[in-house]
Amino acid sequence: MHSILAVDDSASMRQMVSFTLKNAGFTVVEAVDGQDAWEKASTRDFNLVLTDQNMPRMDGISLTKKLRENARFKTTPILILTTESSDEMKQKGRAAGATGWLVKPFDPTKLIEVIGKVIR
Amino acid sequence: MVDPVANDASPDGAVPTLLAADLQDHLMTASNDLDRLQRLLADATSTLLQHFHGLSQQIEQLHEQLDAGVDPLAFEQALRWLSGAVVALQFQDMAAQLISHTDRRLRSCADRLARDALADDEDGTAVTLPAPLRPNPVTQDEIDAGSIELF
Repeated sequence: MHSILAVDDSASMRQMVSFTLKNAGFTVVEAVDGQDAWEKASTRDFNLVLTDQNMPRMDGISLTKKLRENARFKTTPILILTTESSDEMKQKGRAAGATGWLVKPFDPTKLIEVIGKVIR
Repeated sequence: MVDPVANDASPDGAVPTLLAADLQDHLMTASNDLDRLQRLLADATSTLLQHFHGLSQQIEQLHEQLDAGVDPLAFEQALRWLSGAVVALQFQDMAAQLISHTDRRLRSCADRLARDALADDEDGTAVTLPAPLRPNPVTQDEIDAGSIELF
């Protein structure tokens, strides 16, 4: 069973992401911000990381950079799910090593579709 | 309300002190109202989520009863409604970000008025909250909402 790390400082967003992913058969580990996600990623592997961008302690782009510096997460798909839609932010995400950029609100069917395309 | 002070110019002569105090008061009132709105939103969302999870569990039970005569079309429709609710429930996150960002901007303005237009009090120079540097993070147009881009 594929395991996904879902990162968002909003409890309601984490619930909606977890609900969608679990119903699609994924195992989900939640993190409340980038720092929490990094600590969890240090102890286990994930097949995909789905992260918000604007979070306290460590934002999504910083988390992406940190994960990419770790050999275990060099090729792990990392999707950024955020309210931000500017080209500038997308380019920063891309440069950090993100696999894709999703603008909130997500559609559950489309989220599962895109995860299916990128997950290993 | 802030007690009226002498309607003099501020220390640097730029803004009348009474006006500045009044403006600051309005800004802080608006900020406090946003705090209350944030709490109302969080409470309402918490309740909505409880109902959402209750409903989804019921729908899951219907799924298990499909062989017992539950209408599969009705079940599929229920799933679509649930999917729509997942999209709608994300509004709380976006609304909370908007409110928080606006609140910081209001407080920053209030602090600057206190610092620049009103005299220091016995505690010394007021500590001001910096205004958000970037535009509101919830910036997507309708056309961008829900968009997906793979790099």
